[in-house]
Amino acid sequence: MVADHGWPSRRLDLLAGFDLIFRHGIDTLHGFRRPAFATPFYQRVIRRLAGYGAPPSATASVGLTGPPTLLDVDTVIVGAGRSGRAVAGALVAAGLHPLVVERRLQPPPIPGADLLTATTATFLPPRVPTGDPPFEILGSVEPGRGLRIRARRVVVATGSYDGGLLFESSDRPGVVTADGALAMRDGRGQPPFRRAVVFGSGDRAKAALEQLGDHVVAVASPTEVPPDLVAEANRHGALLYPRSLILGVGGRRRVRSVTLRSRGDGTTTEVDADALVLAHRRLPNSQLFFQAGARVAWRAGTGAYYPIVGDDGTTSVPGLWAVGSAAGATTSGSIGSGERTGASLTGGSVPLAPIERIRSEGPNDMEGYYRDLLRESRTGRWIVCPCEDVLLGEVEHASRSGYRGMEVIKRYTGVGTGLCQGRYCVPDTLLLLALLEQRTPTEVGYLTQRPPVHPTPLAALAALNVSEPISEGP
Amino acid sequence: MTGPQRTEYAVAVVGAGVVGLYTAYHLAQAGVGPVLVLDRGFLSSGASGRNGGGVRQQWETRATVRLARESVAAYRRFGRDFGYNIWFRQGGYVFLAENEVALGRLRIVHQTVRSEGLGSRILDEAGVTRLVPGLAAGAAVGGTYLRTDGTLYPFPAIWGLYEAVRARGVEVALGVEAVGVEQEAGRVVGLVTRSGSVRVPKVVNAAGGWSGDLSRSVGLEVPNRATRHEILATEPIKPFLDPMVVRPSDGLYFSQTMRGEIVGGLTVPHEPGTAQGMGSSAAFLPRMAAALTRLIPRLGGLGVLRAWSGFYDDTPDGFPVIGEDPRLTGFYHANGFGGHGFMLAPASSRRVAQSVMGEKTDLDPGLFGVGRFFTPGEAPRAERLQLG
Ligand SMILES: Cc1cc2nc3c(=O)[nH]c(=O)nc-3n(C[C@H](O)[C@H](O)[C@H](O)COP(=O)(O)OP(=O)(O)OC[C@H]3O[C@@H](n4cnc5c(N)ncnc54)[C@H](O)[C@@H]3O)c2cc1C
Repeated sequence: MVADHGWPSRRLDLLAGFDLIFRHGIDTLHGFRRPAFATPFYQRVIRRLAGYGAPPSATASVGLTGPPTLLDVDTVIVGAGRSGRAVAGALVAAGLHPLVVERRLQPPPIPGADLLTATTATFLPPRVPTGDPPFEILGSVEPGRGLRIRARRVVVATGSYDGGLLFESSDRPGVVTADGALAMRDGRGQPPFRRAVVFGSGDRAKAALEQLGDHVVAVASPTEVPPDLVAEANRHGALLYPRSLILGVGGRRRVRSVTLRSRGDGTTTEVDADALVLAHRRLPNSQLFFQAGARVAWRAGTGAYYPIVGDDGTTSVPGLWAVGSAAGATTSGSIGSGERTGASLTGGSVPLAPIERIRSEGPNDMEGYYRDLLRESRTGRWIVCPCEDVLLGEVEHASRSGYRGMEVIKRYTGVGTGLCQGRYCVPDTLLLLALLEQRTPTEVGYLTQRPPVHPTPLAALAALNVSEPISEGP
Repeated sequence: MTGPQRTEYAVAVVGAGVVGLYTAYHLAQAGVGPVLVLDRGFLSSGASGRNGGGVRQQWETRATVRLARESVAAYRRFGRDFGYNIWFRQGGYVFLAENEVALGRLRIVHQTVRSEGLGSRILDEAGVTRLVPGLAAGAAVGGTYLRTDGTLYPFPAIWGLYEAVRARGVEVALGVEAVGVEQEAGRVVGLVTRSGSVRVPKVVNAAGGWSGDLSRSVGLEVPNRATRHEILATEPIKPFLDPMVVRPSDGLYFSQTMRGEIVGGLTVPHEPGTAQGMGSSAAFLPRMAAALTRLIPRLGGLGVLRAWSGFYDDTPDGFPVIGEDPRLTGFYHANGFGGHGFMLAPASSRRVAQSVMGEKTDLDPGLFGVGRFFTPGEAPRAERLQLG
């Protein structure tokens, strides 16, 4: 469906006016109750505004039905990034013929492997405990054809993404993740900004600076800036703001400035900028591990859960491997992690070098970052969950009213229930709740990672209903 | 996760779902003395936080129609009584009949509902298609419709009840599991939890899908059994569907929420029992998607956003179990609600509270009492409109 977010149209969006009227959020939990006789009217108005696009028309799903892709393989690798390719390469070298599925449209071919592209593997349920049936992965092949893969072994190489950050007006156009900035640059040859502030201190910030350097005016880092990043910033003439909090961005229609607060001496700086590029932490795409029931562990440094893996990528679920940045390896360590798993899968000897893991302390201490940030006084809109427009104030209110734990706060505020299913907002919400509830993030708990990972068309799933026809009733 | 604060209570309610909280509310309103509600999970972790929010009054049995009708009235008042907006929207319920036999069964329901003074209607194919836009040709020969049925958001109902009982002095202990009761001479004298025991003469079993386990753990054989049911939500689209739609033959049901999502499920046979946990299965998504898109083909392009599951607490005859257990004085049942505990909770819980206070209720013990399962000679009756 089209994500048409304005009303009456995307260009003339009167709904944007609501944001001004309801600066503290629209309280759908308590509001619109009185007078009682008016509730059907409120409901009609709100239903007018609900949902995206138009109601489905008779032609909405024409061309969407087609035969499903049903595959039965020994080994499937989900993801054709660095680590997935490394695993595939090792299997091919050992004379095997692995299947690799990849969501991006045109990944480079992997000689000797079957590469199924434009495919989304969205659901990897735990295996039925009785006997030893294969894994079953459900998903779709564009434009919405069903995909079911039965496999004896599954290697999850789904990579990682740039996490979001909480600050005032984070929904302002011009706030982008490094992923987004690089994709936009690749799409049009130029990034859509000239004077960006890059936020981050690790590999990712360095990569963003290397690739977008001419369009960057400053690097703000949550921690001290490591020497290699200092050198890179100097090369591009970018100013350095070590140990900084991002308080917010200014500008009416798009970012015009970025406001920083030094975590050292407390000084405030407003940097003249037209974009803020978030490159402060990589988060693993770990939903498939969760779905499959693999054990995970919390890492305080990045503020995220990672699957518990052995050096060869084995997880707690027999037959399920995890490699690359999805398993917590650094970008540079990803290939090695894939090679080790490849060796293990083919019965070869496993190279001994240990996996290079994302640093777990020091530069990326997000818990400490948010502790400092929450001490700041705040004005304006602090959006915790952009999909569902949940404000920090609403989370704080829920917490003060006695609702505790990630699962309950999700249900109370709607955090993490939108189109991204919490990928973007839940990692930060978890850190905030740990501070508000004065306990550790692991005690706050996590969200059940519900299938599918990405919205999957009903038509694609319906096409998979092949083995057992539904009963049409007596 | 703190244990009970007192050593002695007047009543302990096991389960902080909609049934347990409503029961505690009625007890507190009546001023029975200190009430403890305990739940081993987080608030809304049971079926009360996992359901489709459907509220219907179309039943085959008059007593159930009455409980549902009273509950509808309570949900209409909820915003005023509890301060939370549950967005109870009376968009009606359409029951679909795929053939004349199925329509014949629905006619019986229709007559019962009518005899209780509710304006149920029989629909022909055109009538069904008007209410369910996009319905595939030939998918239904007709159905029934009751305009005052509807849907609500379960979560704010739980929040409202939780705050209301706490404001009335009820203690809600979360993360505390009940593991048994202490008995003396056939009466309840205490409740044993993992965080210690409390003295209490009356215990209410409102443990939802786990109520059978709890009853059996105190030595009471009951036929309640948990069955897993899965459900999904799609991305939000512009509202086009007013009523909840149900097909009794396979238990398919779906509605469109205030936010525009299609939320619905379908009965897929699962192993009974709670051991399988509350995950999703590879069987459900394709079956549900196939059933839904066969019925309304134009929904094919709509993306499924998430799927989850919860437990029904099923009884063999489809009626809940309400009232004191004749085998153990002071042990009260408030369970066996199958897929309908939310819509029946306000009225049923009031009767649970009445029986806890020793008052006579208007419920027929032959239909709702636990004794019906082991009284010989009771003519077996059953509510057949169980699915959806
Ligand atoms: C997928 C699905 C869809 C549904 N759709 C509808 C619908 O549309 N309309 C409708 O009316 N109903 C529906 N239902 C049914 C409805 O949700 C339930 O009947 C209702 O929520 C039951 O409420 P409850 O309070 O009895 O149980 P629950 O909400 O399950 O609460 C029981 C609580 O007891 C706790 N507990 C259990 N054992 C112990 C113990 N030993 N010690 C301490 N605590 C314990 C559990 O943690 C749980 O929180 C649906 C159910 C499911 C699963």
